[in-house]
Amino acid sequence: MEDRSIQIQLGIGAIAASVFLIAIAIPFWVSSPSNVPNIILSPLFWPNVLSALTGLVGAGLILTSLARPRPEHPAKLDVDDRPAAFRRLAIMAVIMTATVLVMPRLGLVWTAMVTFVATAFLVKTKHPKAAVVCAVLIPLVLYVFFAHIAGVAIPQGDFVRLP
Amino acid sequence: MSFIDSLLAGLQLVGNVEAFLALGLGVAIGVIGGAIPGMSATMAVALTLPFTFSMSPITGILLLLGVYKGGIFGGSIPAILIKTPGTPASSATVLDGYPMAEKGQAGKALGMALWASCTADLISNLALIFFAGFLASFALSFGPPEFFTLILFSLTIIAGVSGDSLLRGALSAMLGLLLATIGLDLVYGTNRFTFGNPNMMGGLNFIAVLIGLFAIPEILSMVWNPSSHDGVARSLGKNKVTFQEYRRSFKSIVRGSFIGVFLGSIPGIGAAPSAFLSYSEARRKSPNKENFGNGEIEGVAASEAGNNGVAGATLIPLLALGVPGDVITAIIMGAFMIHGLQPGPMMFVLNVDVIYGLFIGLIVSSVFLFFLGSVAIRGFKYVADIPRGVLFPAVLILCVYGVFAVNNNIFDVGVMFAMGGVGFVMMRYKVPAAPFLIAFILGPLLEDNFRQSMLMSGSSGWVLFRGPITWFFWTLTAITVFAIVRAGIRATRQPSVPTP
Repeated sequence: MEDRSIQIQLGIGAIAASVFLIAIAIPFWVSSPSNVPNIILSPLFWPNVLSALTGLVGAGLILTSLARPRPEHPAKLDVDDRPAAFRRLAIMAVIMTATVLVMPRLGLVWTAMVTFVATAFLVKTKHPKAAVVCAVLIPLVLYVFFAHIAGVAIPQGDFVRLP
Repeated sequence: MSFIDSLLAGLQLVGNVEAFLALGLGVAIGVIGGAIPGMSATMAVALTLPFTFSMSPITGILLLLGVYKGGIFGGSIPAILIKTPGTPASSATVLDGYPMAEKGQAGKALGMALWASCTADLISNLALIFFAGFLASFALSFGPPEFFTLILFSLTIIAGVSGDSLLRGALSAMLGLLLATIGLDLVYGTNRFTFGNPNMMGGLNFIAVLIGLFAIPEILSMVWNPSSHDGVARSLGKNKVTFQEYRRSFKSIVRGSFIGVFLGSIPGIGAAPSAFLSYSEARRKSPNKENFGNGEIEGVAASEAGNNGVAGATLIPLLALGVPGDVITAIIMGAFMIHGLQPGPMMFVLNVDVIYGLFIGLIVSSVFLFFLGSVAIRGFKYVADIPRGVLFPAVLILCVYGVFAVNNNIFDVGVMFAMGGVGFVMMRYKVPAAPFLIAFILGPLLEDNFRQSMLMSGSSGWVLFRGPITWFFWTLTAITVFAIVRAGIRATRQPSVPTP
């Protein structure tokens, strides 16, 4: 992507975020006591100021991008197969979401092993055996450190409990 | 407490095997982390942070400082051997380091990088020791208005210099400041963007945001393009750096070290600009200037001195003013707070033993860096051969454990993944992450000092201009904004460059 279109997209995004914050998010999700003596001291003041500044920065991004001359050469793509790259990203998002959702039931150690293997195969590791061995060993070593040395209560899950 | 008393108190705190072991281990982790392309010193420090929770404050912080120092040097190894800087600070080292490696002089280039790094590191540490206390005693007279103007100045400079576009840096800082408003209001205790979720009432966890912004995007980049980070390592060759060559480059090393100290002590500038400035100054002053870019050993020395000269100096604003000098010191600031210490001028009064313990540890770290760096140069082949398809899933698991361990809270792991997504989008859109993180840390301080100033003055804005210190920071802020806007206008007039 060229700098010019990045700036325009960022500018539009920043203005949209600013409008959303001022019109919806702040009135609905920021509460303020009714007896605040001065607007400057209100809990609403700072978020409103920052939102307005975000909008201004967005406007600045659009204006400066329009002032830029167009590039002479088109941008090169960073990956050959973009749909496949987006597919991998979507699968990674599923892995991450599943990690958070499954962890209380399965336990951190077993979830970490599954996540490790899934990620390694997603990035097409050239060393699948090493990946599987590491997927078992690394979560166990980390469990020993955090649970038995650092005293962290690592979630054990409902199925197999570790000592 | 006299200087000798303070020194002895510090020595008492760090004069044990555990502290020096942590420091040495930290340097080793840092060198390895910095040497792995795609890892970076920042990520190495962030991933080490959760392991310090069970340690005493001084041991934990020494471990992190070791990782920081080692990481900055470690980045030069892949920069020279595979033309891929392990950390952004080593970008200038590629210019002459890789051409030297192509000529079969990689061993010489790495040797010079190590000598220059250790020399600059020592100079930077001494600068920290001499200036931090002086600055802290000056900062003791700061009230909320002075701190507000100081933090505002820091944010201006951070937003302006941490990327190729001021506005993108400013956008990043705004997003960080907005994210910092999540949680209970500082004065009235009312909800701000908490959505009734008790996990959000204390604000988002700093470690989750940090690791999410700096480690997860690298993993997502690997998922996006699994063939990235591949490189062919050059052999070390038979040549070693000689004392003659070190002496010939000594002026450039010292000059680069002072450039690093100066730029490092200004919050937000960081190591990469310092390395490039040191390199260009060395080229300007060198009789072999035409050889720069083609494998000039003085170029390697200057860039490494420039980036390592920053390492100690970035701790000056952190320790003396409580303002992080760069992203890594922002993480170290988080470590201080996790261990119940608040960096800033009062630390020189309340925790002087910790301060002097750190000073002693930092001086020793230069020695560790020299010996461990020599080993790392020879062992890089093994580090470079770690398969990325195994390394990055391991980093992911380390992130999950580390973030969970902060509060024993799965919600934080979710925050980390969400911030990872944000960080990846920012990376794709070339929005620098550093202003985001530093603004996220400084945001509550900025707001708190602003509101305290208003409470003090009965909501009169004039309190923010109440004395010479506030005027000094307002002037600096105005000069910085003017300089950055001017540079931005010049950049806008140049043709846009297509990027991948």
